[in-house]
Amino acid sequence: MSKTIVCDGNEAAAWGVVKARPDMVAVYPITPQSSLAEYISQFVADGLIEADLMDVEGEHSVLSVLQGACLAGARTFTATCGQGLAFMFEPYFRTPPLRLPIVMSLVTRDGISPQCVWGGQQDAMTVREVGWIQMYCETNQEILDTIIMAYKIAEHRDVMLPTNVCHDGNYQSYGVEQVEIPDQGDVDAFLGEKNTNWHVALDPDRPMGVDPLTGGAAASGASLFVRYRKGTCKGMQNALRVIAEVHEEWGRKIGRHYSPLVEEYRLDDADYAIVTIGGMTGAGKDAVDMAREAGEKVGLIKVKTFRPYPLQAMLQAVSKVKAVGIVDRSVSFGWNAGPVYQEVLSTLYHRKERIPAVSFIGGLAGADITEDHFSQIIETTARTLRDEIPEGPIWINE
Amino acid sequence: MSHTKYLIVGCSHAGLTAMETIRLQDSEGAITMVTREETLPYSPTILPYFIAGQVPQEQIFLRDQAYFDKLNVTLLKGAAVVGADSAAKTIRLASGDEIHYEKLLLATGAGATVPPFPGIENVRYQVVRDLNDALKLRETMNQAKSAIVIGAGLIAMHSAENLAHAGLKVSMVVRRKVSLFAYFDVAAAGLIEKIFEDNGVHIATGSGVAKISPSDGGRCVVTLESGEDLTGDVLLLAAGVRPRIEYLEGSGIETDAGILVDNSMRTSAADIWAAGDVAQAPQFFEPGKTVNATLPNAVTQGRVAGMDMVSDPAFKPYSGSSGLNTFNFFGHHAFSVGLATIAEPTEDIEVNTTLLPSGLRYQKLVFQKDRLVGVSAINAALDPGIMRELIRRQTDLGAIKEKFVSAPLETGRLLMSKLWR
Amino acid sequence: MDKSYHTIAFYPQKCNGCNDCIEACARINTGEVSPAHSRIAIVKDSEDGSFGLALCRQCGEPRCVMDCPAGALSKNEDTGVIQWEETKCVNCQLCTLACSYAGITYNPVTRKVMKCDMCGGDPACAKVCGRGALEYLTSSDLYDKWGDMEDLFVPGISACLGCNSELLIRHTLRRIGPETVVATPPGCVAGVGSVGVNGFTATKTPVFHPLLTNTASMLAGARRYYNRIGRDITMLAFGGDGGTADVGFQSLSGAAERGEQMIYICIDNEGYMNTGVQRSSTTPYGAWTSTTPVGSVLRGKTQDAKPMPVLMMMHNCAYVATASTAFMEDYYAKLDKAVAAAKHGMAYIHVFSPCPTGWRFPPAMLIEIARKGVETNTVPLWEYINDGNEFHFTHSVDNPLPVQEFLSLIGKYRHLDADQIDHIQKMNKRRIEMLKMFSEQEERRAS
Ligand SMILES: Cc1cc2nc3c(=O)[nH]c(=O)nc-3n(C[C@H](O)[C@H](O)[C@H](O)COP(=O)(O)OP(=O)(O)OC[C@H]3O[C@@H](n4cnc5c(N)ncnc54)[C@H](O)[C@@H]3O)c2cc1C
Ligand code: SF4
Ligand code: SF4
Repeated sequence: MSKTIVCDGNEAAAWGVVKARPDMVAVYPITPQSSLAEYISQFVADGLIEADLMDVEGEHSVLSVLQGACLAGARTFTATCGQGLAFMFEPYFRTPPLRLPIVMSLVTRDGISPQCVWGGQQDAMTVREVGWIQMYCETNQEILDTIIMAYKIAEHRDVMLPTNVCHDGNYQSYGVEQVEIPDQGDVDAFLGEKNTNWHVALDPDRPMGVDPLTGGAAASGASLFVRYRKGTCKGMQNALRVIAEVHEEWGRKIGRHYSPLVEEYRLDDADYAIVTIGGMTGAGKDAVDMAREAGEKVGLIKVKTFRPYPLQAMLQAVSKVKAVGIVDRSVSFGWNAGPVYQEVLSTLYHRKERIPAVSFIGGLAGADITEDHFSQIIETTARTLRDEIPEGPIWINE
Repeated sequence: MSHTKYLIVGCSHAGLTAMETIRLQDSEGAITMVTREETLPYSPTILPYFIAGQVPQEQIFLRDQAYFDKLNVTLLKGAAVVGADSAAKTIRLASGDEIHYEKLLLATGAGATVPPFPGIENVRYQVVRDLNDALKLRETMNQAKSAIVIGAGLIAMHSAENLAHAGLKVSMVVRRKVSLFAYFDVAAAGLIEKIFEDNGVHIATGSGVAKISPSDGGRCVVTLESGEDLTGDVLLLAAGVRPRIEYLEGSGIETDAGILVDNSMRTSAADIWAAGDVAQAPQFFEPGKTVNATLPNAVTQGRVAGMDMVSDPAFKPYSGSSGLNTFNFFGHHAFSVGLATIAEPTEDIEVNTTLLPSGLRYQKLVFQKDRLVGVSAINAALDPGIMRELIRRQTDLGAIKEKFVSAPLETGRLLMSKLWR
Repeated sequence: MDKSYHTIAFYPQKCNGCNDCIEACARINTGEVSPAHSRIAIVKDSEDGSFGLALCRQCGEPRCVMDCPAGALSKNEDTGVIQWEETKCVNCQLCTLACSYAGITYNPVTRKVMKCDMCGGDPACAKVCGRGALEYLTSSDLYDKWGDMEDLFVPGISACLGCNSELLIRHTLRRIGPETVVATPPGCVAGVGSVGVNGFTATKTPVFHPLLTNTASMLAGARRYYNRIGRDITMLAFGGDGGTADVGFQSLSGAAERGEQMIYICIDNEGYMNTGVQRSSTTPYGAWTSTTPVGSVLRGKTQDAKPMPVLMMMHNCAYVATASTAFMEDYYAKLDKAVAAAKHGMAYIHVFSPCPTGWRFPPAMLIEIARKGVETNTVPLWEYINDGNEFHFTHSVDNPLPVQEFLSLIGKYRHLDADQIDHIQKMNKRRIEMLKMFSEQEERRAS
C-alpha cells in the first residue's frame, strides 16, 4: 500500500532508500546532508531499513566500506556533499571504472572557500567527469522515486555504474512537500533481483585479482587499459537508453511519469527557452507560465540527467527554439561561465544554424533563484533575439 | 632384457651410499642394485665380530628389504655379474640375463689375495671376505684350539683378536718389522703389538713365510724364513686384498690393480663409474692412483660417484685417497688419519709425538708447515672426524698451531665450531 | 616435501661457559655429572673468549650412519634423531671418524661411543641453559604442518632477492587458507605482483588493490556483507608501513575502533620502499632514506618511529602482536590467535620486515637481521589479547645484545655517530620500560 506524507527532501530520499532495501548504508554527517544520514540511521534503528549501518570515521571510508561490500555482493547507499565529497574523492574516482553500482545522494552544496555550508551545485558539477551517473531532481517526490530508479539503472547489466541522485542543499533538503511513498511490493516487483558483483567480486568461490596493475610500456598493457576505459564509456552511453526505459517502466508500474533525460516544458511553440537543472526548475516553470500569460513565446528545458550527457534529447529540445538562456548553480572556473551552459553550447554545435545562448549563474551559497530572477532571465534571453547579446555570464544574487 | 636408469653393481658401502645419494636428487629414476650375495647387504668389516660371536647373523645387515621398497630401489640378490659391454650399455649376469643401463656404477669391492706361499695348495686355509667365508671359518673354529693368521693389516689384526676372543690360541705372521705399518709408526705399532701379546696373541714379526705344510689332524705348520715353526688348527690368510675386476675382461674399461677412475669416479668408459675397494683412484698427498680398501673411503667414493651420476649441483670432486681408520682392540682404541706413519721430521715436516707407555697412551701430530697432515693416536681423547676434516681442508693453523699441539681436542673442536659447524 | 625436524640451536654470544648443559646432559644420561658422559661439549677460545659447540647435528645426510658397518646407527624418520643401538654396535668407532662435528664420541669410562638423542624430545641442555644460548627449536613442526599446504601465491613474482614480504605472504596465506579475501594496498606487496599485472594475478585467493588509504575500510565493508549473508570469510590485509601508519592510518583507526573483523598485517619495512626508499613515520631515528639523506648537515631521520603496534593496542583491538620472520614459530602461534580474534574483532600484527634493497644489506643477511632486531630489543616481540586484557612478551627482553650488533649489519645506519647510537640505545630501553609496565600490570593481576 502506498502512503502519503509531508516531508523534506532529505526524508524523501531516505524513504526511497527504505523501499530499495539496500544491504548496507554508510553514513557520515555533513551539512546539509546530515538529516538524511539521521533519517537513514533512525529508519535502521526502527527496522524500516534492514541494512547494516556503518557509521564510519569519514567520507573516505564511507565510500570505501561500500566498495568492499559491493564487491562482496551488497546493494549499498550513502549520501554526502561539498567537502565530504571532496574528501571522498579518492575512492569516488575509482568507483565507476570498478563498475560498482553504488547509489549515493548528493545533497548539493557550494564549495569552499569562502567558508560556506549552504546549497549550490559546485560539488556535483566539479565531479561531473569522474564517471558517475548524475540525475538532478525537481521535487521531493522525484527525489524519492529517482533513488529507487537509480538502483535499477545502476545495476543494469548494460550499465553497472555508480549513480548520484542530486538534490539541492537547503532549498530541497529542508523544503517540505507532499510525497507519496510507493508500496513495497510494487517496488520489489519493479526492482527485481539484485546482482551487484557478477562481473567483479571478492569472493573465495570465484577468486580473482581485482584491479591488477594495468598499462605500462608493454603494448598489451596499454591496450587492456583502453579496453576498460572504452567499456566504462560504453556503459555510460548505454545508460541513456536504460534511464529512459526505467523511467518509462516506473511510470507504467507506479503511475508517476518523469522525463528521464531532458524535460521539455511549453516548448513546442516557443521562440526561445530557458534551461534549468534541479530544484530551481519549479520557480522557472512559474516564471515561464507568467511570461506566457504576458504573451511571451517562452519554454523551459529541464536537465534531469546530466551524466551521461543527453546529447540527442537536448539537441531535440534546443532545436525547437531560436535562443536559450542557461541557468547554472555553479561555475566553471576555466570558462567564466556555468558548466551546463558549456554543455548546451556543445549541443548547439550539432544544429545547422547558430542561435544565441546566455549563461546565467545564480543560487550560489544557498541563495534562492526566485520567480523574479527568472522573469529577468526570460527577458534577457528574449532580448538576444533582437541581437542584444550580453558579454560574459550574468551573475544573479550579486 | 630389463632396463634401468641407474645400475649399481655391488651392494655394500660404496654402492649403498651412491644409491642414497642419487635418491636425494632423483626420487623417481629407476635404480637397480645387483649383488652376488644371496642375503641383504652387510659390511665385510662386521665379519670378525660375527666370527667372534659378538653379533648374531640376523643382526649384521645394513638395511632391510623395506628400506629398498621405500626408496623404490630394485635389489637383485644372488646375481653375479660376469660381463659388461660399455658400448651396448649392458651387463650380463651369471644367469645369462642382461640388464641395460643408462648409468652404471661398479662397486664390487675387493677379494682376499692368496699369496703363492710354497705348499699352500696342500693345506686347508681360510680367508674372511664374505659371509660364506665367515660361516666356514666359524665351523672350522668350533673344533679348533689354535689359529695362525698371516697378515699385518687391520683385517688380520681384527681377525686375530676375534679368534682370540673366541678362545683360540692365536699366532700372527708379520713379514715386516711391525704390523699395521700403513697406519702407525714403529713406536705405536709396538705398543699395539704389546697389548696383543699381553692378551695372548703371539706376533712373529720380521719374517716371511718360507713354506706351509700339512700336519696331522687337519692342522698345518707354517715355517717362517727365520726357521720358526708355527702350528695351528686354523690357517687364516689376511695378506691383502685385490679388487674384483675379472668380469671386466674384454670390456675395454681401463684397469690396473683396480678400475682406474678420475676425481669424479668416472672410469675410462662413458657413463660408467667405479667406487670403493674396486676402484683405483687419485691420492690426496701424492700423484698417482691407488686402491684404498677401507670402509670410510668406500663411502666417500660412493658419494662422489652418486652425486656425479645424478648431476647433483652440490657435487664436489673427490679430494683424493689417504689413509684413515679407527682400530679398537682389547678395550683400547686407536685411530690414524693422513700421513701418520712419518717418523722423522724433515725440512718442512714437523712431528710431534707424545708417548706415555705407562698409561698406554700415544699421540702423534704431523704438520707440513702450518697445516696438519697426519694424526695417529692410541687411547687419546681426540675427535678423529675433526682431525680428518682439518687435514682434508688443509686448514692453516698458523698462529694457533702451538695451542693446537698443547690442546688438540679443544682447539680442534673450536676450529670445527668456527669453520664448518 | 621432506619432513623437517626439531633442532637444538646454539647462540654463542649468549654462552658464558657455565657448563650447566654439560652437567645436565651427563646427569640425564647416566645419573652422574662427570663431563666424560656428556654428549654436548662447550669449548672456550681463550684468545677472544668466544665459545664453540660440539654436539650432534642430527644430520640429514648422516655420515656416521653411512660409515657404520653394523647398522647400529639410523635416522628416526619421525623425530629426525640419529639413533644409536647399543646392542648392534660393535664398537669399531668408525663413526667417530665419520663425523666431523664431534657429534658422536668415544666415552673412555663406558668404553663405548655415545651421542645426543635429544632426550626423546625434551633436551635437558636447552632446558637448563638460563641464558638462552641453547634453544630447542621446534619450528620444524610448522614446515611439516603447513609445508604441504597449497602455496596460494604463485612462483616467479617480481620481489627483490631476499624479500621478507614474499616470505611472509607465502607463510601467511598457507596458514590462513583460501577462504580469504586479501587486500594489498599500493606498496611492495602489491608491487611484486600480488594482485597481478595486465590481467594476470599472482594470488589464488580473491585479492585486490585497495587505495593506499582505505584498506581497512574496504575489508570492513566486505566482511560485514559476508556476515550478513552468513559466510565466514577471513579478511586479510598486507599493508606496508606507509599505508598503515601514515596515510592509511585514519581508516585503520576507524575500523579498529569499530571492531571490524579482519586480520591486518603491517609489513613494516620502515619506509616507502616500493617508491624508492622514502621516509615514513615508522622509519627509525637515524636511518638513512632518500628523503632523510645523509650529508654534511643532515644525518638521517631526526625523529623516532611511530609506535604503531602500541597505538593499535590502545585502540582496544581484539588482538595485537609484533612479529619477526626470524621467529616463525612465534609468528605462526600469533597467526593462530589472530585468526581466532578476527572472528570477533580486529587482529593487528606488526611484522618487522628488514628490506635488503632499501636498508642496504646482502639478501642472505635477512633472517639474521630480523633476529638481531629482536635480540637487541629494537623490535621486542609481544602480544596483547583483549579478551582477558593480557599482555606479554613472547621473547625475553632481558639481557639484550647491544644495539650495535643490529645496526652494524645494516647500510642505512652506516653513518651513525656515537650520539645517534646512544639515542637509539636509550630509546630502545625506554620503549621496553614502557612495554614492561603493561606486562608487569599483567603479572600483578595474575598473582
Ligand atoms: C674382515 C674385514 C675387516 C675389515 N675391517 C675394516 C675396518 O676395520 N676398517 C675399514 O675401514 N675397513 C675394513 N674393512 C674393509 C671394508 O669392509 C671395505 O673397504 C668396504 O667394505 C668396501 O666396500 P665396497 O662397497 O667397496 O665393497 P664390498 O664391501 O667388498 O662390497 C662389494 C659388493 O659387491 C658385490 N659383488 C662383488 N662382485 C660382484 C659381482 N661380480 N657381481 C655382483 N655383485 C658383486 C658383493 O656382493 C658386495 O655386495 C674390512 C674388510 C674385511 C673383509
Ligand atoms: S653424529 Fe655427526 S655425522 Fe652423525 S648425525 Fe650427528 S653430527 Fe651428523
Ligand atoms: S662404533 Fe658402533 S655405532 Fe659407531 S660405527 Fe662402529 S658399530 Fe657403528
